[in-house]
This record gives sequence, C-alpha cells and structure tokens, in this order.
Amino acid sequence: MSAAPGPVRHKGRGPAVSGWVAPRGRALGGRSFALHRITGIALVIYLYVHLGVLSMLLIGESAWGDFLSVVTAKGFLAFDVVLIFGLLFHALNGIRVALVGSGYLVRHQRALFWVATAIGTPLLVYAAIHVFGGA
Amino acid sequence: MRHDAHVLIVGGGGTGAALAHDLSLRGLGVTLVERGELTSGTTGRHHGLLHSGGRYAVNDRESAVECIEENRILRRICPGTFELNDGLFVAVEEEDLEYVDAFVDGCEACGIPAQRLTRDEALRLEPNLNPAIKLAVRVPDGTIDAMRLPLRFFATARRNGAVIRPYTEVRDLLVHDGLVSGAVLLDHVTGKEGEVRADIVVNATGPWSERVAAMAGVDVPIRPSPGVLLALRGRMCNMVLNRLHKSGDGDIIVPQRGLSVVGTSSWVVEDPDDLTVPEDHVERMYAEGSKLVPAVRSAERRAAWSAARPLIGSKGADTGRELSRTFKTFDHKETDGVEGFVTITGGKATTLRGMAELCADVICRKLDIDEPCRTRETVLLPHSAYYAAAAA
Amino acid sequence: MSTTDTRTLRVYRFKRGDGAEHFDEFEVPVGPRMSILDALRWIQLHRDPSLALRHSCLHASCGTCGVQVDGREELACVSAVRDHGETITVEPLANLPILTDLVVDVGEFFARFPEHPIIRASEADGYVRLEDCIECGLCLSACPVAATSRHYVGPAALVAAQRLLEEPRGADREDVLAWADRPEAAWGCHLGFECARACPAEAIPAERIMALRRELAR
Repeated sequence: MSAAPGPVRHKGRGPAVSGWVAPRGRALGGRSFALHRITGIALVIYLYVHLGVLSMLLIGESAWGDFLSVVTAKGFLAFDVVLIFGLLFHALNGIRVALVGSGYLVRHQRALFWVATAIGTPLLVYAAIHVFGGA
Repeated sequence: MRHDAHVLIVGGGGTGAALAHDLSLRGLGVTLVERGELTSGTTGRHHGLLHSGGRYAVNDRESAVECIEENRILRRICPGTFELNDGLFVAVEEEDLEYVDAFVDGCEACGIPAQRLTRDEALRLEPNLNPAIKLAVRVPDGTIDAMRLPLRFFATARRNGAVIRPYTEVRDLLVHDGLVSGAVLLDHVTGKEGEVRADIVVNATGPWSERVAAMAGVDVPIRPSPGVLLALRGRMCNMVLNRLHKSGDGDIIVPQRGLSVVGTSSWVVEDPDDLTVPEDHVERMYAEGSKLVPAVRSAERRAAWSAARPLIGSKGADTGRELSRTFKTFDHKETDGVEGFVTITGGKATTLRGMAELCADVICRKLDIDEPCRTRETVLLPHSAYYAAAAA
Repeated sequence: MSTTDTRTLRVYRFKRGDGAEHFDEFEVPVGPRMSILDALRWIQLHRDPSLALRHSCLHASCGTCGVQVDGREELACVSAVRDHGETITVEPLANLPILTDLVVDVGEFFARFPEHPIIRASEADGYVRLEDCIECGLCLSACPVAATSRHYVGPAALVAAQRLLEEPRGADREDVLAWADRPEAAWGCHLGFECARACPAEAIPAERIMALRRELAR
C-alpha cells in the first residue's frame, strides 16, 4: 500500500474552516459553535469600527453634526440591532458554554440554548424598539 | 524459525485470519488477500455466539466437542473480546421438557458443563424471560465481537510477518499442468492488476468457496446457506438465551452491547453475493424470540440482515439445516489431482482457531515442514494493533 | 409501494493509481427497506466492482461502514435509502485521510487514542459487556474542531481515556491524565456537540469529555 497519506474530506468547499458553516449535516450544537466564533470575530471587528466612528469626534465640535447623521441613519441603526444580537448571543451562549464546559448540565446543553434564546429574544426586541424608537 | 515457503490465503474472514496467524507462528511466509474489508463476508455478520456446543450436544456430538474445546481456548487467548455471562437453554412449552434429559446427558457426554435451574432461579438471573417458562439449563455460552475477534488474529499475524491485503480481489488463479502456483490480483486501492506467486494457495472464502475452486478447475461441495438475523434496540438479557428443543428458527437471543440479536433461519442459495432478507423470516424471529422474551415483540428493529453459512454436503439438500456442521480441509491433490491448492471450509465462528490448526497441519505436511501448532497458548494482540505499523 | 423506484447515488471515488478525486453517479433500484449500504453493494455487484467500501456486521455493531450521506455522518448499514431524497451523495468520513473511495485510513483514527491497548470488555455493571463505543469514527468526522486541527485527538479518543479512568483494566491513571491534560486532548474540545448527535451507539461523547475535564480539574 502507498505510504503517502490520502486526501482528507471536510464538510465545506475550499478551506476546512468552511465546514463550520456547511449548509447540511450540522445540528444545533454545531450551529451555535460556528455562530459563537462568528460573533466573537465580529465583535472584535466592531471594536475597531466603533473606535473609528468615535474618532470622527476628534476633529472637534463641527464633526458632531456629521457624526449624528451617520449614527442615526437607518442603516446604521439596523447595524446596531445586529450588533446587539451578536453581543447577546455571544454573552448568553458564552454562559452556556462556560457551564457545560465545566461539566454542569451537559445533558441539557440543547435546553440551555433555548433558555438563552428565551432570555435573549425579549432583550433584543426591547433594544430594537428603543434603538429605532429613539431616533 | 523461518521457512522459505510462501502461502497465499484467499479470503479474509475468521478462517483466513486464524490460518494466517497459525502459519506465521510456524515460520511460514503468508500473504492474505480479501476483496473487501476484513470479515466483510460471512464472519462479520454472524450471530456473535461464543458456542458452548449445547445446541449440538444431542444431534451432532462431533460439533459439540469441537465447540466447547475452542470456547475454552478462545477465552484464554483473546481475553477482553467477549461478553462472558453464560447462557441458558430454556424450556418454554410442555414438549420442551421431553428434551431436557437428552440435552443434559448430551452435554455431559461432550464435556460441556450443564447446570439445571428451576424456573425461579432462571427468572432471577434473567427477569425478562417469559414468566411461563418451565426450567432452564445453564451452559458456558458467551457473546463474541464478530469483527474484532478475527481482527486480533490478523493483528498478531501481521506482527509476525504476514502480509495482509484487504481490498485486493483474486481475478484468477495461476494454474498450469495441474499445479496452482499463485494468483492474479486486482488491487482496488490503486485499481491496478498484479500477480503473486505461492507454494500453496488456500481457498478460505466460506460460501464463495465454489467460485474460487472453479478458478482452479475443481469443485467443492459447498452450499451457501443463509439465515436471517434481527438486531433489536435494548439489551434484553445478559446471558445468551436458547430455546431448549431440537434446532428451529428464531430460537436464540444473543446480547451484544446495547442490542439483542435474535436468530436465525435457514434456506439455500446459489449466489452468496445476492442475499435477500425475507420479511416473513423477520416476522418469525419476532414470533419465536418473544416466546423466550416477551419484550421482543414490541422492541424496535435496529437492523435485519442475512448471512450465508458455508455448509458442507451434497447438492441435494433444500433447507441446509441437516447438513453437518463440521469443518473440512480439502487437499485438492488428493481429491482432484491438482497440486498446490487447498480448500478449508465449513465450521462455525467459534471454531476458527481449530479449523486453522487442521488446515495448517495439512499445509505443513504438503510442504514437508515439521512445525507444531502454537495457537492454543499464544495470547493475541488487541484488535487495534492491526492498524499499527506492521513488523519490519 | 413500487419496487421499481430508483434513486441516483452520487458516490465519491478516489484510486491511488490516477489520483483524481471525482464523483460517479449510479441509478439504483430501491426496495422498501433498502439501506445505503445495500445500495452501495448493489452498485458493486451490478455496476462497478472496483467500488471499495467497508462493512462487516450489517447491524451497527462493528463500526466499519461509516460514511457521510448528504453531508451527515451515518452508518450505511442502518441508514434507510427512503429517508433521503432523489439524489443521494455518499462520501467517506471527514477529517481522516482517505485510502480509496469510501475507505478511510483507520490507522490514523486509532493513532489518536491513548497508549493503552484498547479493551472493550467492561465489568462495570456487575456482568461482562462490550462497551458502547464501536470505534466508527462518526464523531471525529462530525467534530468541527477536528475539521480544522489535525492534532486534536477527537471525541472517541477522549471517551476511551475517560473509560480508562472509570475502569482502568491495567492502565496507569497518571499516564491517562497526563495524556488528556493537553490542548490537543481534553482542552481541545470546544463544545460543538456534533459528536453526541452523530454517535450511533448512543454513547454521549460530549458528556464523557466533560467528565474527563472534571477529573483533570480536580
């Protein structure tokens, strides 16, 4: 038999990491795993975007109007809601992962996901109402 | 001590595995080829019964003695690959009671430990038994891991220098002037053909024996005789449960991990590759199995499949059950005037080592090699060792 | 139901001779209780004898016939054709090197296990029974961490380690703990839980991995 190792299949197309978000063959655990990483990276990127947007204010008082028109634009508010979803998901799922990863409620990992959803959804709705309502 | 001889074994089931192990311990060169995954023929599919021989103690004492001897040897050389909780032969109906004395006497005559138990004692051991049972007899049955047991033989053989080649199919045998000198192989890993030469070619292909023998221009009296098996979810017993009567369909339940396997039935076919799973046979498994354990009736089906036994006998039989279950080695020089070719066939999963010893003796005689069998005492490597690097 | 139904099976092919990975399509006649393995063996018998695949027990006990069916890990012998669509894609398991066609390199799977010889007979319940894990590799194939890390030992190996802590059978407890206490072992799990979903033996690898971590944290 040939000594060279053969090819390795993974679930995505292209680099192996694409298997994390493969459309088929993943359950709740795998989806939340992938989303946790996506939201984690997204939050880090957001941090820089946030600093970038805030840095507009360094220019001085005259920048305030420009700043306001950017951050109150509908698109930006929608982005805020997405951001809040990412924060809520990452925080609540993070608690789930921390609990289960320390050996607590392992058998109930799916239930914990739905509890987190039940807590997070009203919070997200509340936030969305106030984000759009206050504009 | 190493000998110059090279033996090519065709067939990677339990028989081939045990033979590769025996011959390599005797210092012969061994190459084994199997067209698919190891044990993917009949061996992997069998019931998983480590036979005490009880089933044969009345009508087929030769088989019964073979079974109990090999049962003891296997426990010694393959610890850790069995569920060893004994078995019960259970009298369910009145007429079963007529069989008890003959059964116990037969077991004693064959050296099979048999202990009579009352109904209550049996139910204490196995609470899922039909409460209507009359009595039971306890024998040293067990459960074999059907794939991993032969894999331990392969692992040890490989460590001792045997070359094991799964996914390698024999396309034809090299035959000339009444002498078989090797085989033409198709390697399904690379897709390429090749040849291998050997001093002796062994046909260890079970129900495919006739097909391979035909390549050498000889005939062997093998009838593929399939039976249906039914795996149910749930471990309904820890001991093997047998019906105490003359052999019949669905009269055994073998526990295996989280499953209970009910079997079996019997019919005869021409082509061991094209086995059906008749639903009426499956229904019979449910019906007969639930006479032993009522919970069988409502248990969820995990799988139902067919496995072809290689039964030796004339071509006249229809059901296959009355053919003898002993194994035989055919030296085709004696039977057909063809040198360099031996068929080993028949037998049960439990007797793989004993079959191999017989065959290895024949092979060594043919090659004028004087080596004793060492497989009775050699403890086998664990199954995962097969995949570790082969001997240098 | 008519037994002249057919399905299209798209089967992954790879032979080391020509080295080109591709898919072959086969029209397979389907009966009422046909399994994916039945369909693959039909292809071997009637269309292409060079199709290499693994099987042995035909009842989810040996763990050899693991494949991905439409991207999901299954044991081919107990996966019903009728549970899938008109076109069914069959590929080898993920995250292990492929030997040929649907056959993966099983040696690589076992190479990730702790050093102690694998013994599957357990007396933990007062009688002797074979352990649940049938070494099928579905968990390793499903694991998202194993997808991106060749060094992560994977769920099956961690389960084996935890079983050795529960029931040593000659293993050295300190050796097993040392083996497990590494980033590529017990700490490599990031709770994807795909292993527990894929496991056909209904062991819950995720639970055992957490139990192993609790042992390490003591």
